[in-house]
Amino acid sequence: MTATTPARTVARPRNFETKAWLFMRYSGVLLIPLVWIHVLIQDVLVGVHAIDLDYVAMRWATLGWRVYDMALLAFTFAHGMNGLRNVLNDYLRSPRLRRVADVVLLVGWIVISAIGAVAIVGGVRTP
Amino acid sequence: MSTLKVPLEGSLTYRGREGQWAYLLHRLTGLGTLLFLTIHILDTSTVYFLPDLYEHAIAIYRLTPFMLGEIVLVFCVLYHGVNGLRVALFDLRPELWSEARQRSSFWWTIALSLAFWLPAAYLMGRAIVEHNL
Repeated sequence: MTATTPARTVARPRNFETKAWLFMRYSGVLLIPLVWIHVLIQDVLVGVHAIDLDYVAMRWATLGWRVYDMALLAFTFAHGMNGLRNVLNDYLRSPRLRRVADVVLLVGWIVISAIGAVAIVGGVRTP
Repeated sequence: MSTLKVPLEGSLTYRGREGQWAYLLHRLTGLGTLLFLTIHILDTSTVYFLPDLYEHAIAIYRLTPFMLGEIVLVFCVLYHGVNGLRVALFDLRPELWSEARQRSSFWWTIALSLAFWLPAAYLMGRAIVEHNL
């Protein structure tokens, strides 16, 4: 139990996977304040019983919160979808299945990000 | 399905102790958070696309099982963040890594996550009692 293995450093190739790997670390560090502040305010302090269309409209009346939510949308979903890609790559053995998964994730990522972005820019519409 | 059975069983039976537990929890909390996030982006988008539907979505989130799920979600977000910071630190500063630190840092991660989560869980639990019971 007391034996320790010294850390080994290897040369990192500058390919897509290295950039994706670095992105997960840097975006992860950024997401800690971004997501935690969002969760603290909306889930813990405000609470789902105080959230309705008027509340969202009131919040988005401030441009800063729209920019905040846009950053939240972009970074959380990119981080999450790439995380799912990493998980799937561990379990999908055939290169063909990986291709299929990559295409599905890429399309899903772009479409859902776009839907969220349009809603943030468009804002609350009165029913 | 055998391609899934082997790695899934291996995840549970591999005796990597703290490192393996940290990895498993990181995956589960990450996947759980992504599942919620996907639904959350779409339900929030209804404020623009289908505003009538938004109040329905919020009504579902106000149900007790969903509010309990929200408390679990907050733990997932906290653990995934603290553990992710631990992973990033050891990855980007490998000279800090040692087997002993790998083990002890997992328990610090659990302790820190719980320390952040308990007050949040208390406040969110109180909201369930106030509104739903």
